[in-house]
Amino acid sequence: MAHLTQSSKNAIYLDHNATTPLDPEVVARLSTWVLDWGNPSSIHQAGRGPKARLRDARLSVAQMIGASPLEIIFTSCGSESNNTALLGALAALKSAGDLRRHVLASSLEHPSVKRTLEHLAEQGYEIEFVPANRSGLMQAEDFRSRLREGETVLVSCMLVNNETGVVQPVKEIAEAAHAAKALMHTDAVQALGKMPVNLRDLGVDYASFAGHKFYSIRGAAVLFVKRSSPFQPLIFGGAQERHRRGGTENTLAIASLGYMCTRMHEVPERAKHMASLRDHFESRVLMEIEGVSINGAESPRVGSTSSLLIPGTDGETLLMSLDMEGVQVSTGAACSSGSPEPSPVLLAMGLSRDEAQCSLRVGVGWGNTREEIDRFVEILKKVVSRLRELRGWKPGAVGESSKSSLAKASLKGQVV
Amino acid sequence: MGFIDRSPIGPDGRRRRVLVAMSGGVDSSVAAALLVEQGYDVVGVTMQVWDYTSCGIEEGNGTCCSSLDVDDARSVADRFGFPFYVANCEAKFKASVIDPFVEGYLKGQTPLPCVNCNTFLKFDHLITRMKELDCDFLATGHYAKIEPGIDGRPTIVTSDDSWKDQTYFLFTIDPEVVPRLMFPIGHLNKAEVRKIAEEKGLVVARKKDSTGICFVGNQGYSNFIASQVSPEKLIGGHIRLHPSGEIVGEHAGIHLFTYGQRKGLGLATRKDRSESEAPLFVLRIDAETRDVWVGDESHLFSKTVQVREPRFLGAFEPGERLKVKIRYAHKGAYGRVLKRDDGSLEVEFEEPVRAVTPGQAAVFYRDSQLVGGGWIP
Repeated sequence: MAHLTQSSKNAIYLDHNATTPLDPEVVARLSTWVLDWGNPSSIHQAGRGPKARLRDARLSVAQMIGASPLEIIFTSCGSESNNTALLGALAALKSAGDLRRHVLASSLEHPSVKRTLEHLAEQGYEIEFVPANRSGLMQAEDFRSRLREGETVLVSCMLVNNETGVVQPVKEIAEAAHAAKALMHTDAVQALGKMPVNLRDLGVDYASFAGHKFYSIRGAAVLFVKRSSPFQPLIFGGAQERHRRGGTENTLAIASLGYMCTRMHEVPERAKHMASLRDHFESRVLMEIEGVSINGAESPRVGSTSSLLIPGTDGETLLMSLDMEGVQVSTGAACSSGSPEPSPVLLAMGLSRDEAQCSLRVGVGWGNTREEIDRFVEILKKVVSRLRELRGWKPGAVGESSKSSLAKASLKGQVV
Repeated sequence: MGFIDRSPIGPDGRRRRVLVAMSGGVDSSVAAALLVEQGYDVVGVTMQVWDYTSCGIEEGNGTCCSSLDVDDARSVADRFGFPFYVANCEAKFKASVIDPFVEGYLKGQTPLPCVNCNTFLKFDHLITRMKELDCDFLATGHYAKIEPGIDGRPTIVTSDDSWKDQTYFLFTIDPEVVPRLMFPIGHLNKAEVRKIAEEKGLVVARKKDSTGICFVGNQGYSNFIASQVSPEKLIGGHIRLHPSGEIVGEHAGIHLFTYGQRKGLGLATRKDRSESEAPLFVLRIDAETRDVWVGDESHLFSKTVQVREPRFLGAFEPGERLKVKIRYAHKGAYGRVLKRDDGSLEVEFEEPVRAVTPGQAAVFYRDSQLVGGGWIP
């Protein structure tokens, strides 16, 4: 009996911001890594292999992001890294008698940052979300003007937005935070594999990464904690990760993430390839489908992500129709129930609910080809025109976004 | 729209595509399985209608479309290898099913939310989805059948399982969409449906029937209402005896009563009513005064019923003698359906019917054919 758990051969996967397929080299090495089944904490021989995998991975990760191996904590997922960074930093400061309770974050953060901060608000912290605008680009000045020395303790801003691909000015925001003696966290989950990342250069105190956005297997992620930064673990009861994250390590996933980090030198070339596909896609769509606009097109973006607004359609139906045609894209953050809600990121950028409902996120990956992009455009044209016909959509009809604030025909977004 | 070719393969050789509304229960799962077997190109969809975690319902236990039910529906789709999606309908469900349900009780009615779910979600939202997803038909797991009428147009007729028949809930369907509907299990009875599910190895084969109202669950509807409205809207009132108007008791809110109710009136311990006296029944609920009128069962019977917002699925002659059901469990009674000047209807029954209840529907049948229906004010 057929089973739909494996993606079919002819499918076009364009949802790399949700997760990435495994790199073939990772697949080839899994059977070797999995044989190091011992517990890395064991003193006996069985612990040596897995311990070596951990050490190698830690070194590769550290080299890749410009950190020391001592600054790397392996966790299970990006959400755990984000939770641990925020809760761990604030808990440590509080225990040390720090009285500052004001936290600043961009309003475009992933739920694992947003919800954690909302939780902290219930514990007496004053959480302030810095508003965004339709460009999707946060302004360092908007953080600077809200920072209150002696009160602001932590600032969090993502490096690359998961929906628009806009690259945020984290370096400038970190400088502003530090000038006010606040700590800086960045959720860099969407940056890995899409652009080179150097944490020394960014100057952040905490950063989160996840392996499964980077062609390695799920279950391993990184929390960078700059040396001597305040930190308290979230999971107690284990000496793993130098007492900073209890729990037996997922050596298989960590090894695969570590391996991919050794391939980091490929990123500039891969990013160029993805950008050429993305730009080709966007120029075709803007030319061939009426009324389409691109969210964040005027801001600096990674070259792999495209957030489209297609008036006269509905993201939910668009997604289902495209999937039946073998194209896998998304309307926003993948939700566990599989039931789409309008993207909170797009709403925070000031799009109306109607606009957010007719948006589509395309995430190009290392393995995509120009032929796939062309096939996708043809399918998209067909599906969009069917939906528009059923809805009686006419150019300029209700649901079309305001033209002034959006890039319509030009593609000024620079490739990073 | 006249005769529609319903064969699985169209004249162009393309397999016809059917969107199947799957609740995660055994009926809609078997409906999907049968369509796959018949050779249709099946696409499954579950409407996510309600956040079950918010109301303390044990999921998957007599509920519908909860996250565990979605898992069940998805596993059926995986089993047969057809596409499956979840459609987010929470806002629409709240506005067109939950809110009117709660308001109905506050007005002293006994609401019928399943009809609204059919009207505004299954046979509206999903009809739109059917067209948008390039499907030829929409199928559901209702116990109902589609058969050609006298003029050849497809009509809805009662299920072969007269006990499970669900046509009562379908009277608001737009006749224009009937040719695009499929009820694949309408010719089966529940036992046969379960048997097919067993034979096909579906995980839902032995799943408990969803009974009552899906979003209310085990907590009981009065607790549900209490969770949805502010307490000052649920204040109590008097229980009055018909016809004297004598106050014979107090109650804790009109939402706790329905017409014809005998138990739970809180009058059992009254000393001045001996055991031998005839039992009291709820005769009328007055939302304005919050009085609940009780009295002898004989006052519960009426020969006429008013019907508002009538909908018809096919031709109907005013004054026609039709079989009328005034609640789902009612076996039906014959009466003449008359048209009134204001566009509403009045049914004159041949024999009095018991406990005509505001908020319920009066649904008309010509033999087994579903003719239409409307709301009892």
